[in-house]
Amino acid sequence: MHETSIVNSIINTLEMEFEEEKLNSMKAIHLKVGVLSNVEPRLLQNAYSAFHLSNPKYENVDLHIESTTLKIQCEICDHITDVQNYRFICENCDRPSKNVIQGEEMLIHKIEFEDQ
Amino acid sequence: MSVEKSTKKARGTAACENTNIELLKANDYVADIIRKQMTTSNTLLINLTSSAGSGKTTLMQKTAERLKDKLNMAVMVGDLETERDADRLKEAGIQASQIVTGGICHLEAQMVHQVLDRFNLDEIDLLFVENVGNLVCPASFDLGEDYRVTLMATTEGDDKPKKYPRMFLTSDMMLISKSDLLPHLPFSSEAVIKDSKEVNHELEVIQISSLTEEGVDEWCEWLLEKVQQKQEAKVL
Ligand SMILES: Nc1nc2c(ncn2[C@@H]2O[C@H](COP(=O)(O)OP(=O)(O)OP(=O)(O)O)[C@@H](O)[C@H]2O)c(=O)[nH]1
Ligand SMILES: [Mg+2]
Ligand SMILES: [Zn+2]
Repeated sequence: MHETSIVNSIINTLEMEFEEEKLNSMKAIHLKVGVLSNVEPRLLQNAYSAFHLSNPKYENVDLHIESTTLKIQCEICDHITDVQNYRFICENCDRPSKNVIQGEEMLIHKIEFEDQ
Repeated sequence: MSVEKSTKKARGTAACENTNIELLKANDYVADIIRKQMTTSNTLLINLTSSAGSGKTTLMQKTAERLKDKLNMAVMVGDLETERDADRLKEAGIQASQIVTGGICHLEAQMVHQVLDRFNLDEIDLLFVENVGNLVCPASFDLGEDYRVTLMATTEGDDKPKKYPRMFLTSDMMLISKSDLLPHLPFSSEAVIKDSKEVNHELEVIQISSLTEEGVDEWCEWLLEKVQQKQEAKVL
């Protein structure tokens, strides 16, 4: 159910950002979603397919989803840690950190348009 | 048709545009409108989340009972299909309004915004949004709240913070609810607190029971302090 809302939000967001003409030439949407975003790529693809049944307008637009892993950067020592098992602790100096630099994102990262 | 993966200029048919637009931009836009409205009306907005049945509505009743002489409180309740929770609260004399999501498993800013005019916000100091019971989807949707409070009942098993890290990462307060049942359950508060602090070291924690009222004083003091801080910030 959550995935359906996300698909609607993607389309709403794009309709806010781009002119009708541009949207008509859209070929592919590229998303970048972090492991922390609670977006399950397979379920999102399914929701996107289901969306086309009621909105055939975008049925030829491909959806590509890239998942990213979780990284934090320590505010004290600048070290970048790959977060394992959701331990948000700097592996260099052992201090806790909430400074997530990757893995939380839900981005429409790139759009491909037909050249006109 | 093949897809160009690289960002370099595509051959022939495709033109790429790097966008990096927030996927939930539409939601966040409405959340900001709500935030501004709450600032204007001097209302503290709290987004209350948990799994289904962790004791949110019961805690709202207890909280209203405790704070009724000190401030004006109201509750907005999200539920998949029924109006039961809002009815329960109204029967207890609490200003409440239901948002029926029609099967959607979380509240979005738009849904909250639509029902805001059912309240006279200028007269409300503290407004709770009881979110739909689930720790996954509500985590992603900003409702314009000042604070996010997550209940975790002792009946749920103590592995929740690592199973649903985004919710605990985005929360300001974790209430370990139904603490009266602790003696009967294989639930370790220490383990939950340790795990949740690994996810979010700034998370505040109160162990609470709506039955024995353990922690209710501390919870109400926290609320009063936050309400006061918000109202003072406005005066400055
Ligand atoms: N032992 C005990 N039971 C509680 C406590 N708080 C709530 N309950 C019981 O837990 C059940 C669920 O409580 P609710 O307050 O309806 O929980 P909720 O989180 O609002 O539930 P949903 O809105 O359906 O997600 C009810 O049977 C309550 O009586 C508590 O502090 N201790
Ligand atoms: Mg409830
Ligand atoms: Zn460090």
